[in-house]
Amino acid sequence: MTTAVTTPGPGVTGGRTAVAARARQVVKAYGSGETRVVALDHVDVDIARGQFTAIMGPSGSGKSTLMHCLAGLDTVTSGQIHIDDTEITGLKDKKLTQLRRDRIGFIFQAFNLLPTLNAIENITLPMDIAGRKPDRQWLQRVVETVGLAERLKHRPNQLSGGQQQRVAVARALAARPEIIFGDEPTGNLDSRAGAEVLGFLRRSVDELGQTIVMVTHDPVAASYADRVLYLADGRIVDEMYHPTADQVLDRMKDFDARGRTS
Amino acid sequence: MTVLKTSMRNFFAHKGRMALSAIAVLLSVAFVCGTLVFTDTMNTTFDKLFAATSPDVTVSPKSAEGPEEDPQGGKPESLPASVVEQVKRADGVKSAEGAVSSMNVTVVDSENENMGSTSGAPTIAGNWTQNDARTMEITEGHSPRGPTEVMVDADTADKHGLKLGDELRTISVNGDFTAKITGIASFKVTNPGAAVVYFDTPTAQKQLLGETGKFSQIAVAADAGVSHAQLKQNVASELGAGTYKLQTQQETADQNRKDVGEFMDIIKYAMLGFAGIAFLVGIFLIINTFSMLVAQRTREIGLMRAIGSSRKQVNRSVLVEATLLGVIGSILGVGAGVGLAIGLMELMSNMGMNLSTDDLTVKWTTPAIGLLLGIVVTVLAAYLPARRAGKVSPMAALRDAGTPADGKAGLLRALIGLVLTGAGVFALYTAATADKAGDGSMWLGGGVVLTLIGFVIVGPVLAGAVVRVISALVLRLFGPVGRMAERNALRNPRRTGATGAALMIGLALVACLSVVGSSMVASATDELDKSVGADFIIQGQQRIVPQAEKAIQNSPDLEHVTRYKVADATLTAPNGKSEKSQVTAADPTYATDLRRETTAGELEDAYAADSMSIGTEYAKDNGIKVGDTLTVAFKGGETAKIKVGAITNDDVTIDQGARYMSIATLEKYLPADRIPPNMIMFAKAADGKAEAAYAALKDTLKQYPQYEVRDQTDFKEELRSQIGQLLNMVYGLLALAIIVAVLGVVNTLALSVVERTREIGLMRAIGMSRRQLRRMIRLESVVIALFGALLGLGLGMGWGATAQRLLALEGLEVLEIPWPTIIGVFIASAFVGLLAALIPAFRAGRMNVLNAIATD
Repeated sequence: MTTAVTTPGPGVTGGRTAVAARARQVVKAYGSGETRVVALDHVDVDIARGQFTAIMGPSGSGKSTLMHCLAGLDTVTSGQIHIDDTEITGLKDKKLTQLRRDRIGFIFQAFNLLPTLNAIENITLPMDIAGRKPDRQWLQRVVETVGLAERLKHRPNQLSGGQQQRVAVARALAARPEIIFGDEPTGNLDSRAGAEVLGFLRRSVDELGQTIVMVTHDPVAASYADRVLYLADGRIVDEMYHPTADQVLDRMKDFDARGRTS
Repeated sequence: MTVLKTSMRNFFAHKGRMALSAIAVLLSVAFVCGTLVFTDTMNTTFDKLFAATSPDVTVSPKSAEGPEEDPQGGKPESLPASVVEQVKRADGVKSAEGAVSSMNVTVVDSENENMGSTSGAPTIAGNWTQNDARTMEITEGHSPRGPTEVMVDADTADKHGLKLGDELRTISVNGDFTAKITGIASFKVTNPGAAVVYFDTPTAQKQLLGETGKFSQIAVAADAGVSHAQLKQNVASELGAGTYKLQTQQETADQNRKDVGEFMDIIKYAMLGFAGIAFLVGIFLIINTFSMLVAQRTREIGLMRAIGSSRKQVNRSVLVEATLLGVIGSILGVGAGVGLAIGLMELMSNMGMNLSTDDLTVKWTTPAIGLLLGIVVTVLAAYLPARRAGKVSPMAALRDAGTPADGKAGLLRALIGLVLTGAGVFALYTAATADKAGDGSMWLGGGVVLTLIGFVIVGPVLAGAVVRVISALVLRLFGPVGRMAERNALRNPRRTGATGAALMIGLALVACLSVVGSSMVASATDELDKSVGADFIIQGQQRIVPQAEKAIQNSPDLEHVTRYKVADATLTAPNGKSEKSQVTAADPTYATDLRRETTAGELEDAYAADSMSIGTEYAKDNGIKVGDTLTVAFKGGETAKIKVGAITNDDVTIDQGARYMSIATLEKYLPADRIPPNMIMFAKAADGKAEAAYAALKDTLKQYPQYEVRDQTDFKEELRSQIGQLLNMVYGLLALAIIVAVLGVVNTLALSVVERTREIGLMRAIGMSRRQLRRMIRLESVVIALFGALLGLGLGMGWGATAQRLLALEGLEVLEIPWPTIIGVFIASAFVGLLAALIPAFRAGRMNVLNAIATD
């Protein structure tokens, strides 16, 4: 069965299409013959611009793989992925790297920062690599938004886990990417620090119009999103708009039960 | 048992990471074993040669010189032919034949090309005897008969394309002598390089000894059942004790071997020294490898400790891995060493030596030494990291250690390093200001060792500052990538320090030797400019025979030609003290050829009849003043009373302490056939005829290719090129240590890349291109290499300058820093850094981004 969760109609936001990223019939398979494992099974998905999208699913459902493919970190076996108007499937490493550098931001679960660089250097790293000057005012605003103004000269090992993730958020925002991908960005944080980081992500969507895609298995984290996609066995099986933590949890339980009985 | 099993598994799981360490062990062990095999093989070859060519018993004149010494008169000492008959009367003598053999000859072909070996082996001329027939086989023609026939050895014939019927001219102190080749004979044993020509007995006697009826030695063969020692005794009692020198085959062979053996020992210990340096450098590499492996395995070790492994077990497991590494590296090294020895023999063969792999000698001690050294060094080097592994707390298993904690360079380390460096600098200063070369060299040695150790210890501390400086100058050009390279080089100063230190050692030696070498050239040039007045200098490997001397004297456009001879004599001072020494007899024009300052008297007076000059030191030691009389007993001549005409200043390198007299004085007390040939000759061109005179001299010497004439410019050039060659050889040997150091850089980078997998993945994810990533690693490598180079060159120049100050006592007056070499080495180091990073950078570029960041 092929599932399609696409936003209908070409909305227009600031001269761009309303869809920030688009996947069509994406298949990702590992191995071949008998050992072939399908991680993504003909997935169609549209990521709406200016929205906070969460991808959920049990371990092995393919949610991280989907994010990696959307972000141009991983290659697909077949199908197409577009970031805005650019088809990234089939791009060579060089172009892909440039695309990640200039148009995408990342927040990982752990090990987000280079230990040799201090906070501000980490934040501006993607622009430094690109040889671009950061926009001072914007940078200031981002730094203030994540509340790091006092700790910019600190090295990662002098920051708490929550602070490190906030630096990562700031880095992702600083270059004004078209889209930010988060891979369980709060997975390693306690609930308070996690709430802080998620709050920033929410605000950046609301106030700065940022597009964010986040993989998580935490219903509370997912409740910050505008829309939740559910993955199971490499397919998108459901979605939910404006979720609350309880709704998400119920839906998850539901899947779990169904998974067990089937 | 489990410890061993874990170690084995660890070792083989990480064999890639061990590979470079194993190569370092391999190279060092190979160099040691290769040296041993090569020198043992050379000794075997010479042993066989000498055993084969020495007769059962040799009778020679009592005053006969050793094989490497020049006989005074320029021809061998001889004994009357009648002795042969006398020897034959002794019991147990199967045969006795008179032999003529001289190494004071030069043999040239019809085109005046020298037939002698270029590798330092002698040219030997003699008569063809039954004893020679034992070890040689006539392969073409026949043995020489009559005064116009000569037989040559097959190797020489091959090398120079000689055929039967070609003419060979033999140049000896008795004149030139041309003969046709009528025979070619080849050695049945390996002859490493001597060129050998044979004549019939009367011709050899006349040409080599100057008269017939004499031999240079007698070869005696024993009857069956008579031992060599017995035969020697019998001959001795027949000839009367003490009249002649008698040697058994063993003794002759031993005497011949002594010189070769000493030379081989020098080569052996020099090469082992370089192997030692390579080992030292290898230690850094091994320490780094194990430190990094332990750091990467911190969690694993913590887990083992948590589930109950004792410190000792963890410690031991690392040492077991080191032992495995040592064993594998050494075994391969021993094999490679034998290969290296064979390669070296091939190389020597290409350079004109004749060596045979049939003689390849691998003593049981060679692999034993190789294995022992390799294993002990490896285990010792791994000891510190092993201890650190033992100290890992069980808590480490619980901590999330993405990248191992950065090793900080401690204050204590800085302090110890600085104290040692300070002590070393003090020692060097003492050496530089020493009055006596002997004391100074001890201080110099101590200073070198202390500053080296000091630098190694303080290196990690310096790494911080030096890397920042280098980065500011070089890396900043590369923007953020350069900055990250700098940070990476700085993040573990201990590692950067150790990696750089390995390179430092080799480069310090290069810098030191290049400073000493160029100071030598500069000092010699300076002294030549100041003191040498002669336009042309004529010298060669052999002393200048009378016929060449005449030809030089008759060369046109010369104002004067100076002869220069050195004769053995025993000097007795007025205070009764005697010393066996030498006097220099020269033409009076020598006083203008070499401007010597005197501390008393005029140098011209030394050249008056029955006069001489002495050096200041000798004069002071014996309280001699100008006008005093010395008793001079000329070796092989009369004893004379000679007046001191002048006392020369000893503060020179050329002719230091020489005692001059005129050749006329020498000739008065020494019979004509005892007058030594010229050691060297000088000439001055007639006014404005320098070029013509030089060309004419060169032309004159065409027929005597064993001598070379050089004007001052060419002489300096030759000096420079000789020292340059020597330095190049030493650099070549140091290359081993430098290669090991470069492997160390590769090793550090490769392991760092593995260690930083996640970081690299992160950087790639957020948009660093492969090119930038590779550049970052290359720049890190360049910084490490430049750090090592800067320290090494600085240290080495310090050593070199100290050595020069010390050697100033021996006449090395001028300090010259060879900036082109130093700067060249520095720049080359940057390229070496680039080269070292090639593979690690490539591998980092190929690293999968997802592997690096995937968390589930």
